[in-house]
Amino acid sequence: MSRALANRFTPYMFMAPAVVIMAMALIYPLGYMIWGSFRAWNPSQSIGEAEFVGLKNYVTLWKDPNFHESLGVTLKFAFFVVSFEMIIGVGLALLLDRNIRGMSVLRTMFILPMMIAPVVVGLMWRYMYHPTVGTFNRLLDDWGLPRIDWLGQHALNSIIIADIWQWTPFIFILSLAALQSLPSSALEAAKIDGATSWQQIIYIKIPLMMPVLIVTCLLRLIDAFKVLEVILVMTQGGPGLSTEILALRISRTATEFRELGVAAAMSNYLLLLLLALTVGMFLFTRLQEVRAARIRAAIDEDL
Amino acid sequence: MHTLLKSTAVGLTAAAVTAGAALAGPYDAHKGTTLVVNFPAHPHYDAVMKILPEFTKETGIEVEVDQLPYLKMRERQTLELAQDEGDYDLIAYVVFSKADYVYADQLENLAKYFMNPKLANPAYDSADLIDGYVYNIGFAGGDRGYLSGATGSLFGMPYGSETSVLGYRKDIFEKHGLEVPQNYDELLALACQIPELEPGMGGLASRAASGHHAAHAFLLHLNPLGGAIFDESWEPVVNNAAGVKAAEALKTIVDCGAEGSVNFGFGEALGSFLNGDTAMFLDTTIVAGQVDNPDKSKVVGNVGWALHPMGTKRASQTGGFGIGIPANAENKDAAFLLMQWLTSKEGDKLVAMAGGNPSRFSTHADADVNAKFPHMATFGEALQYADPDWRPIIPVWGKINADLGTTLSKVLTEDLDIQEALDGVAARARTVMDEAGYYTWNE
Amino acid sequence: MAEKYEKQNPAFYVLIAILVFMSIGPVLLMLVNSFKLDVDILSGTSGLLFLPTIQNYETALCDVLWYEPEHLDFCQLKFGGAFVNSLIIALVSTALTLVIGCMAAYALVRFRFMGRDTVSLTTLMVRMVPPAVLLVPVFGLWNNEFCLDKNGLIGGLIRDTLGGRGDVCLAGTHSGIILVYVAMNLPFVIWILQSFIVQVPRSLEEAARVDGAGPFQVFFKIVLPLIKPGLAAAAIFTFRIAWNEYLLASALSDRDTKTVPILIVNNMSEFNVEWGVIMATGMLLAIPPIIFTLFASRQIITGMTAGAVKG
Repeated sequence: MSRALANRFTPYMFMAPAVVIMAMALIYPLGYMIWGSFRAWNPSQSIGEAEFVGLKNYVTLWKDPNFHESLGVTLKFAFFVVSFEMIIGVGLALLLDRNIRGMSVLRTMFILPMMIAPVVVGLMWRYMYHPTVGTFNRLLDDWGLPRIDWLGQHALNSIIIADIWQWTPFIFILSLAALQSLPSSALEAAKIDGATSWQQIIYIKIPLMMPVLIVTCLLRLIDAFKVLEVILVMTQGGPGLSTEILALRISRTATEFRELGVAAAMSNYLLLLLLALTVGMFLFTRLQEVRAARIRAAIDEDL
Repeated sequence: MHTLLKSTAVGLTAAAVTAGAALAGPYDAHKGTTLVVNFPAHPHYDAVMKILPEFTKETGIEVEVDQLPYLKMRERQTLELAQDEGDYDLIAYVVFSKADYVYADQLENLAKYFMNPKLANPAYDSADLIDGYVYNIGFAGGDRGYLSGATGSLFGMPYGSETSVLGYRKDIFEKHGLEVPQNYDELLALACQIPELEPGMGGLASRAASGHHAAHAFLLHLNPLGGAIFDESWEPVVNNAAGVKAAEALKTIVDCGAEGSVNFGFGEALGSFLNGDTAMFLDTTIVAGQVDNPDKSKVVGNVGWALHPMGTKRASQTGGFGIGIPANAENKDAAFLLMQWLTSKEGDKLVAMAGGNPSRFSTHADADVNAKFPHMATFGEALQYADPDWRPIIPVWGKINADLGTTLSKVLTEDLDIQEALDGVAARARTVMDEAGYYTWNE
Repeated sequence: MAEKYEKQNPAFYVLIAILVFMSIGPVLLMLVNSFKLDVDILSGTSGLLFLPTIQNYETALCDVLWYEPEHLDFCQLKFGGAFVNSLIIALVSTALTLVIGCMAAYALVRFRFMGRDTVSLTTLMVRMVPPAVLLVPVFGLWNNEFCLDKNGLIGGLIRDTLGGRGDVCLAGTHSGIILVYVAMNLPFVIWILQSFIVQVPRSLEEAARVDGAGPFQVFFKIVLPLIKPGLAAAAIFTFRIAWNEYLLASALSDRDTKTVPILIVNNMSEFNVEWGVIMATGMLLAIPPIIFTLFASRQIITGMTAGAVKG
């Protein structure tokens, strides 16, 4: 085979294994699921045997108050988790962006929560939240304060706290990296002009970190919808449905209620939601860029 | 000379073989087989694990066990049973799965095994099996589909079945001069009185976690108080006055219970009692074995047992597990032999001595068993009041159960109005039943 | 670069101390509890005064111990087997993902070809998909569709050599799970590696090509060595996901292919919450990630920041 021909095929050869695997194990299943969401499908049937019911699954879900509650919980969870993690993570990065001895050791210790398996994280927090022997309630006892029913009344808050524990380091590390790659010239100029550190932060550091922050926020947002194992181990979606985020509800509908068609329809709703959020964020960023470009153009004109 | 020796040898060998064949035990044909079984992680089956080596010693059949938490076990089973060829030769099924599996034709009808002279043990004594359990757990196709009746037949054997009983702290009761509650009014009064008498202690430990647990706890009170889920023509009546009373009873109990009880699964409720945090415990008899185990319990020697309190009648739980042979199993005959051995008089006594739940009247009355577990006598008495119609074992029960449990959990945690909540459950249950065709003959 | 270590005020150090405590506190708690008996854990004896015991670890590891622990009646947890399964699945997934992802990333960066943008976009979009969404179809497909008839040629061969019953389906095999993990991780790995490959100067590749090297040689001999940090980061992340994942593994595994997370969740049974053993198994699961964190934290951070900061 001539060299030219080989070269033409090279990119395809490089891409092929990845494309094949993703097609087989990601694209096809997704299509299968969309196809399956229009059927009344039981786990023991193959999809061909399942009865076609049109949009019935979607309509059932639309009217189902449990689905609405689960959706609400998911949105609440994602919103609080991402907001708190961003604020705390960026705040910590700003605070700790100094040259101190042993920073790398500290960073090592900070990434530990992220690396531990979600199942184990769920375990640890379930123990700590235990009503009688858990660490928190025992501390409260020691201090003479009333015990808190962590996994009962405040289940959602408790889960949010656990997630913040696990993922704030992610935001922290990324923000820190962004901070440390900022051009020092801008900061020096500001300092010479007499800007206070607070002003430095608001007007220089954060705007310059914006691109990274947005990407980080988006990544975290997408991942917030994937959280499942931690919640499964800690509360299993209870009490009631107060911590049953959509991913958990989908898995329950599939394995416990054995209604794969409904689970598939719910998955589609979730995907649409994620798509809307991602597109929304992209548009927002694009808008910001356009505005920034316009301002820059205006400044250039004035000069 | 050679020929003579040879023919003698052949003759002797032939005789030996024939003699051997004639004396062949029932297990010889299956020696060396390995059975794969699916059991739940449950105290009764932990006891079973201890006696399985006995079975292997006696029969030469190896047993490999897959133990899973029982709700996960159910999920695993529904998948395996639907395959053309399954992995499991014997499964332990949760009682309410009887409906699903039999309806989908996934369990072997045991008739042909009992008819097979090579397999059926003539000394089995089926009259000794506790009939409430047999009909509730093993029998299908009778009246209303799940009760005893002339039209049904046996698909599994009860094993690890349980009824409900009241455990109480003798020392606390003595200390405050309390009487063991006989009926529900006394029980509820006591449940809320105890936290006042003993600060920090809960009244009655009950399961209440969302889903299956809350529903189970509710059913414990529904039947004695005269309620039911459905009436004769399958119309939901769970929201009638008795149903509301049962839900109120549950709420009272949980409110006066230990810290965090709204989230208690069975394990936590039991743990609360064993740890000494609660004064009473109303749930299955399986816990008896653990109460006197110093590794797990701090209340060893302080627990007394009484019958499930009476409402308008005495109706304690019938539930637990049964064992059956999947239709897609590989070694069905050997599996039947295991099933028969486990539920035989000897097997039942062995498992009772190891801490499990007996399935035979004779085991409850046995002197050795009673010497080791004195509560067996009370349990034997409780069995008389076990209500076989404790819950409807129909294929759609899983969905209704889940809905009931989630709604009740909301009643407990979010203070949902009880009548409204039960009305909702009844309405949704009716839709499910309608779709499943239960009202087809109602015109 | 001269490191200027500034002195900070004490409040700063206190903050750092608090943060460190909060980060590793729960892990230490789990470690300590794994050496306690259940009775001690439940009764709430203060953490530091107790008699350490390795009983929990004995229970967990009972099928790989060379002796029979006296406190156990029968060996219930099959941790050794699960550990091996987890290891096989994680290592093979990581290796495959790296190789395939690397090649794909290279193609996306260096070559212009038909369908390039589609692939790029799809790769990004697929990242959004939660594993729970994949659960339903993968469950159905792996059990019913992606099967070889056991009476057919290949299926029959597999049944003859490996045993087992029924049609040869992807579910319940190591390969089934590995396939899903590779597919799930490819988008992320491609994304990370792209940002590293972009930094390899074209001139090096052109020089090699002028010297007569074919595209594969350029890839293996020039590009790969230069993106080693990216490869390390990608490897750690993929391993971590494959090692820790629970949901899809529990849907697709059967008795012989259970992984450690499944074992842990299954062990949290209703009737007998054995905190000590649970903590011990949790610690055992967490050991590889902890080792990675301690020895490869720089690579991890590089991996995280790639594409976010540089991209």
